[in-house]
Amino acid sequence: MSETPRELGQIQQWMQAVIMHPDGVVVGIESAAAQTHIDVSVNDIEQIITRSQTQDSIERLQVYGNAYFARLVEVLRDEFPALQHAIGEEAFDGFAFGYLQAYPSRSYTLADLSRNFSQYLRETRPPSDAEESEPDWIEFLIELAALERTYSEVFSGPGPEGGDHLKPGELQAIPPERWADATLVPMPCLRLMQFGFPVHEYATAVRQAGDPHPPDPQETNLVIGRREFVVRRKAVSHVEFEMLSAIVDGLALGDAIERVLDRTDVEFETLAADIGEWFKTWAAAQFFRAVEVSEPDWENGR
Amino acid sequence: MLEPRLGHPNIGLGLGLRTVHYQHILQHEPKVDWFEIISENYMDTEGRPRYVLEQIAERYPIVMHGVSMSIGSTDPLDFDYLQKLKQLAATVGALWVSDHICWTGVASLNAHDLLPLPYNEATLKHTIERVRIVQDVLERSLVLENPSSYVTFADSTMSESEFVNRLAVETGCGLLLDVNNVYVSSVNHDFDPVEYLESMPHKNVVQFHLAGHTNLGTHCIDTHDGHVIDPVWELYRLAHRLTGGVSTLLEWDVKIPEFPVVHAEVLKAKQFIGAETESTESQKPGFLEKPGFSTAEDAAATITVPHPAAYVVAEAE
Repeated sequence: MSETPRELGQIQQWMQAVIMHPDGVVVGIESAAAQTHIDVSVNDIEQIITRSQTQDSIERLQVYGNAYFARLVEVLRDEFPALQHAIGEEAFDGFAFGYLQAYPSRSYTLADLSRNFSQYLRETRPPSDAEESEPDWIEFLIELAALERTYSEVFSGPGPEGGDHLKPGELQAIPPERWADATLVPMPCLRLMQFGFPVHEYATAVRQAGDPHPPDPQETNLVIGRREFVVRRKAVSHVEFEMLSAIVDGLALGDAIERVLDRTDVEFETLAADIGEWFKTWAAAQFFRAVEVSEPDWENGR
Repeated sequence: MLEPRLGHPNIGLGLGLRTVHYQHILQHEPKVDWFEIISENYMDTEGRPRYVLEQIAERYPIVMHGVSMSIGSTDPLDFDYLQKLKQLAATVGALWVSDHICWTGVASLNAHDLLPLPYNEATLKHTIERVRIVQDVLERSLVLENPSSYVTFADSTMSESEFVNRLAVETGCGLLLDVNNVYVSSVNHDFDPVEYLESMPHKNVVQFHLAGHTNLGTHCIDTHDGHVIDPVWELYRLAHRLTGGVSTLLEWDVKIPEFPVVHAEVLKAKQFIGAETESTESQKPGFLEKPGFSTAEDAAATITVPHPAAYVVAEAE
């Protein structure tokens, strides 16, 4: 027992600073972050942590210090198998180690641990070659991280299972004169993401125990959703992606079509022909929960 | 006068519910008495784990076991977390809700580890106040587990067993007596696990935990990655006799084998609770054996990480 009992908060702040120090507990004990709370040297560590019959105080603290990063890196490995495959275990662990220092967990759940991982990779990436028009290898890694994080969020979030989802017949039942005013209500899990690489194919190959090679750059428009509790992804054309984006932004179908015509070089006739097929696909994939029409008498007059 | 187990039933021999066993459980409906869930794995999800849990909860009694309450932290209690915990307990009809006598972080950080407390009057007062608040929020007795630990503090003025005992008596909380943790900590801190078990307030003990650990020669780490060793089973026999028997759960969190293997492990408990009146005295030397070095080489090959690491991996195409 020390002569002057220390405050519990003081001990906790000190211990946390020590075991979370990236250079280990010995450096941690001497760090300003720890010494702010308890000014003790490594030689005097027994004033804080007592020894056992078989271990000295430093060895005992190292159990916690070693476990802190090892445990959380392991969680990140589990969540990002494709990224880990792409860069190898050692490099992945290095990124994860850096990330945990930059963004230590502030949540009670490990599901939040990787929330900023792709952002961290972007923040710390070396500058890209300004003369290179195509995305580089590092961009591929960042995109993989963003995709795998999204998979986690979609997997855990609300999905279509057990609730209503839009059926193909519901769209066909809308009278033609009201069709332009209809809006589609997306599933909360629906995500639209654009990438410079076909990262979804790479991620799927890794998850199926394959050994894929990094792909060449390729504009990739992904729609990510969930069905039967499994995260699903579908690559779509740029025009279909624009249409989905407009709908997800809350535009009625008529306005959505106008925006797509504005933003792409697709012809109206082509778009009109494609939309019917898209609706069938979207309904089967359970991208949308319902269709709503703005006229107040719509439901009663149906 | 306290009822045994604070009035909770003895629901028999249960298992920790783990995602790798979902399919087996739903398909075969094994004759397991009950399941314990890691609370945080089900609080925020609306995906498959929650769906499976609700199906399993229709067929088996469920108990909730958390790793993030941080009851001993000097950070403020997280009332949002507590409300979610309460809501989940109501949804799945949890028989009781447990967590650990520990802290997991301060200054808004979370180490996701079960960190030890210095055992003294100030810590006891602090923890008692927080247990009472949590019990008010949850509107039920909290059940708290003795942790495995790897350090002790110069600022401790009482033993862990005294701290746990007084915490339980003064708050009326239940105890989840982890017999493996008693063994692990007794090795790491040079105390007698038998005395520890004998000193507990036995009527507050609501549940036992059993698990495997890793023996590194100089110390043990609570890894939940293997079979329960014989000295822990002998401690379990004693704990059963002292308490009159309480609900018993096996945890297996790393290198998890097929369901029948895990199930068979917890069923071994029957051998020890059926013959609990046999002399535990003859087994006492076994309790006090120091860890050998036979497993150290294997274990030292990589960093040995103590439980917990409660993370559910996404299923994706």
